[in-house]
Amino acid sequence: MSFPILSLLILTPIIGALTLSLSSSKQLKNKTIFLSGLWITTGEFLLSLLLPIFYDKSKNGYQFTEFHTWFDKFDINYYVGVDGVSIPLILLTTFLVPICLLCSLNSIQNRAKEFVIYFLLLESFIIGVFVSVDLVIFYVFFEAVLIPMFLIIGIWGGENRLYATFKFFLYTLAGSVLMLLAIIYIISKVKSGNIELISDFTFDQQIELILFLCFFASFAVKVPMFPFHTWLPDAHVQAPTSGSVILAGVLLKLGAYGFIRLSLPFFEYASIYFQPMIFALSCVAIVYTSIVALRQLDMKKMIAYSSVAHMGFVTIGIFTLTQDGINGAYFQMISHGVVSAALFLIVGVVYERHHTRIISDYSGVTNVMPKYSFFFMIFMLSSVGLPGTSGFVGEFLVIMSTISVSVYLTFFTAVGVILGASYMLLLYKNINFGDLKSDIKQLADLTNIEIFYFSCLAFLTMLLGIYPKLLFEMINKSISLSII
Amino acid sequence: MINLYLFIPEIFILSLILITLCFGLFNKDRAISLNTLGFFLLCILLLNYGKDFYSSTKLPLNTINLFVLSKIILSIGTIVFILLLKRPLKNENLYRYEYVLFILFAILGSFVLISSNNFLTAFIGLELQSLSLYLMAAFNTKNLSSNEAGIKYFSLGALSSGFLLFGISMIYYDTGSFAIQSLDNFTAISEIGLSLVLISLFFKVSAAPFHIWTPDVYEGSPTISTLFFATLPKFASLIFLFRVYQEINISDIKSLNYIFQMVCAISLLVGVYGAITQKVIKRLLAFSSINHIGFLLLGIMSYQFMSEGTLFFYLIIYLITTFGIFAVLLNLRTVDGEFTKISQLNGLRFTSNSKSISMLVFFFSLAGIPPFAGFFAKFFILSASINDGFIFLSIIAVLSSVIAAFYYLTIIKNMFFNKSEIELLDDNNKIGKVIFVSSGLIITLFFIYPDPLINLVDNLFK
Repeated sequence: MSFPILSLLILTPIIGALTLSLSSSKQLKNKTIFLSGLWITTGEFLLSLLLPIFYDKSKNGYQFTEFHTWFDKFDINYYVGVDGVSIPLILLTTFLVPICLLCSLNSIQNRAKEFVIYFLLLESFIIGVFVSVDLVIFYVFFEAVLIPMFLIIGIWGGENRLYATFKFFLYTLAGSVLMLLAIIYIISKVKSGNIELISDFTFDQQIELILFLCFFASFAVKVPMFPFHTWLPDAHVQAPTSGSVILAGVLLKLGAYGFIRLSLPFFEYASIYFQPMIFALSCVAIVYTSIVALRQLDMKKMIAYSSVAHMGFVTIGIFTLTQDGINGAYFQMISHGVVSAALFLIVGVVYERHHTRIISDYSGVTNVMPKYSFFFMIFMLSSVGLPGTSGFVGEFLVIMSTISVSVYLTFFTAVGVILGASYMLLLYKNINFGDLKSDIKQLADLTNIEIFYFSCLAFLTMLLGIYPKLLFEMINKSISLSII
Repeated sequence: MINLYLFIPEIFILSLILITLCFGLFNKDRAISLNTLGFFLLCILLLNYGKDFYSSTKLPLNTINLFVLSKIILSIGTIVFILLLKRPLKNENLYRYEYVLFILFAILGSFVLISSNNFLTAFIGLELQSLSLYLMAAFNTKNLSSNEAGIKYFSLGALSSGFLLFGISMIYYDTGSFAIQSLDNFTAISEIGLSLVLISLFFKVSAAPFHIWTPDVYEGSPTISTLFFATLPKFASLIFLFRVYQEINISDIKSLNYIFQMVCAISLLVGVYGAITQKVIKRLLAFSSINHIGFLLLGIMSYQFMSEGTLFFYLIIYLITTFGIFAVLLNLRTVDGEFTKISQLNGLRFTSNSKSISMLVFFFSLAGIPPFAGFFAKFFILSASINDGFIFLSIIAVLSSVIAAFYYLTIIKNMFFNKSEIELLDDNNKIGKVIFVSSGLIITLFFIYPDPLINLVDNLFK
């Protein structure tokens, strides 16, 4: 029995949350609470750094596995392990959570202890999703994520938070209960919840199609794909900045991760069968939501719609079912995780100072906040997909891989890139340039803390853009196994 | 020669009743606390010698285990209930030892009902149970709605008893026997008779469309009585329903099986549909219990796959959750009397940590969201039903649980997101607090480490 690093990763935040909840809140100041939360999550980040260091890239299959029987009678096991596909996402999670806590240091004043506790629980549930190799515990963590997110949006959200958080919860739950039925059916057929065993099993073709649709319902809501995306703008607009960051940064990736980890290896026939449908939905998502984003007045809503468009690239890439396509989609996932998180933080910075998210309320911010504009530019360009930033690599690979499938697809994705550039540049221009409004003059530039986390994110964006091999080395082997 | 050995648990309760009757005249406090001890002894008795009581019968081991396990659960439930009832009754000036007598009679009826192999005995048990329940509903004699609840419950309950008797007599006419057993060739008369029996049982467990009494009775009765209706007698009736289903092999009789499936589907849907718009928490819980009965009926129907285990897992988790929720509700009072509306829960998060967090656990568990034991309860029922081929019903069940999540979330919303409008008084009932905190812990721990519960159920059914 080796060192149980994965269980430790899941348990550390939970234990931290328990300790915090047992401490009396009257004696603790908000700052102390946030600091202890930061210590825990930073420790978690350092712990997760061990994963890529000790991960053996030359081997197939899962590593650092741990196996405990949970329900003897029903053959449900606590079986965790990681491979190249999960490690970068775990790192992304542990990297973003401390930033979320840092950015709420000033904005969350009331009930700070609860806030930190929910974030810690959220972190451990998300990591749980990425490390589980058993369908049941995958589902358990996948669902459990909803609870802290529901509370975070509901307690610290904006005016219309109740509507948004209910919509978020019920939409996601409705999708995932169908997946639950499919999971139960699969387990009753295969007699095991082990993901590796199920991948080797072949289902009846008709049944496989139905099972695929059940999984699709859950993941498509999470990603979100075109007709199921309406919860996302609401949730983003109403969530506090930190909630948006974790939502865009990590939670949306759960769906895409599910496609790569479960749908493709389980349902090979159905994946090919439904390829056209997914391409069609993703193309609509890319073009339609980009156009919608162009007309938004609210910054957060604009970035939320841009998320839907970017995730459209991801689903297209995954379902090209080629190595390049999935690599590109995966890269786009990580890059979008960093960049959209950063963009939401960017919105959060001005919102905290000026208390409005309407684009037309801002102009000429560059004059008073030069550092802010600088970071904004980096992330904006990365979101557009400028070479040298992380956004470029993913989009490029996805577009390249679509040529082998259909030229029309290439056309639509390329249109999406152009539209993406137009609304992001428009947003940047309207906020940063133009006349300096009188009420903008008082806005203070970035604080040291803000500069710190923005530079971390910017560094990561540049690093991935200039040296993408870092990520590809990690994921290549695992992804090649999940392709048919 | 009557074998008295078979009746030891029932005789034990009967003697407890007599002692309480005599002793209660002089010191009601002692008489009531004596019962706690009595049921504790009964528990130990059943745990150690339970199987021996029935060994002289030719019943299969599984059935005997079912008797013992359900009686143990009933006794534990009674202990918790008796511990809990003092404070709420005192608050309403209802603290009399007769109340405990009704409970004892109801439990005695439940005991008889569970282990009866004969329709007539079952009828006696069911009547004994129901009559005590009518009295408990109307126990707050000065309150009009409590009287109304009692009378409503009584008149509808009497009607359903009529159905039961009529059904039994039809079966007797056809077969010449009262025994609950499988018949080789069913005639139409027996089928009609059995369907009447089933209808009466559906009424007792408040499965839709025989549920009309539930919301009114739940709302009107004193809350402590509502807790009792929602848990122990329902549990006993459900176990009896399960036995009828098994012994008579209802899955082989097409028409009855059809009725069963319809009732299951209707309960699932009516439960959630009714609960959405409710403003009074007890009515909401009434409708949500109808939804859960739908799940339990699904579990009864798919017993072939994992036998009694799934059903008991669900039942035990459901009982614990209900006890927890009511323990919280009983602990809360508004300035001008009992607390009734959901909106009165507003801002509970700010006034009481333990209550709001326990409620969060209970409602997420009822909604079947992990990481709480309610998730596995639903998961097992669904896996049993999918394995037995009830795919359509399972789809209805999961979709209904999504809708159910909506109203559970509404309650959580009220507690966590809204600001409080009226001041809630804390009863500071230590026993109540212990009960809901430990229920919350159990619900969470059973999720992480369910082995004790599963082993308990497993060992008894091997």
